[in-house]
Amino acid sequence: MDRFLPLVDAIIRGHRLSEADGDDVSQTVWLRLVEHLGDLREPAALPGWIRTTTRNECLRLLSARGRVRPVDPQDATGLDAVVDDVAGTDLLAAESRQLLREALASLPEARRALLLLLLADPPVGYEEISRRLGIPIGSIGPTRARALEQLRRTPALRRLAEVIS
Amino acid sequence: MTEPLNDDELMALLGEAVAEADAVSDRRRTAARAAFTWRSVDAELAELLHDSALDAGAAVRSGAGGGGEPRTLSFGHSGLTLEVEVDGETLLGQVIGTGSAASAPQAASVLLERPEADAVSAEADAAGFFRLERVRPGTVRFVVEQGGWSLTTPWVTL
Repeated sequence: MDRFLPLVDAIIRGHRLSEADGDDVSQTVWLRLVEHLGDLREPAALPGWIRTTTRNECLRLLSARGRVRPVDPQDATGLDAVVDDVAGTDLLAAESRQLLREALASLPEARRALLLLLLADPPVGYEEISRRLGIPIGSIGPTRARALEQLRRTPALRRLAEVIS
Repeated sequence: MTEPLNDDELMALLGEAVAEADAVSDRRRTAARAAFTWRSVDAELAELLHDSALDAGAAVRSGAGGGGEPRTLSFGHSGLTLEVEVDGETLLGQVIGTGSAASAPQAASVLLERPEADAVSAEADAAGFFRLERVRPGTVRFVVEQGGWSLTTPWVTL
């Protein structure tokens, strides 16, 4: 579940809800997930379910708050048109970042730890990384390259390539 | 076909992805974990039959009119229907029994549940109408009981 919190967060952010409304949508999504755990037998269906549910909850709340931008009444596509208008590109970016986190999570612990230290903000120096991970400074660069190569071969990043092409 | 990302580009994207995970507030993280304490295996949920916020064109109306119209929701489950109308902080509702629940001698009772607050209850009158005041925005669900029949709605965001 923790894996998908940032995805829910990003979709909510894309819909520009208030912080309080965002908290409520997030909570509704997780409570609805708990209701549906029994129906969701296929783990692969989970990201799609979360994405759709979060998006729908955002749209319902925007509509209830009267904060959705007007759409052409002649164009009877309704909510779908609003989705594309408000958050289409954001949604794609949010999904890409989710896939990147999935890929990272699937790496062996040592490689993931190195990448996370290299990505740390504020930055962590090579000496400190060497000390913390117990690896020579000289092997940080090559290990990073191997970790990224492995990352590219993960199913999540292969899907990412499909998403962005 | 797009160019494959080089190592530095990939690291930059990874940085954004990791930062996004770090940015999730403790409040949302805690609330998400707490959601799992609401798991009830046996409860059969009512179906959301209608939500005015989902109507095609609701966006058009509210976008133009500033969201002046009350939101209406209806739920149904084996013999009971619940209709609610949310207008600001006032919630008006009606419990409608179909089938044998319709002839139940007792009036219906309604609970408005929230994940992080005590439930609020209301008794419906003989015609099934009830009213709740000071209903704050947030995540809620309704539990209705009448003459041995009960209905639990899915969670919705008011």
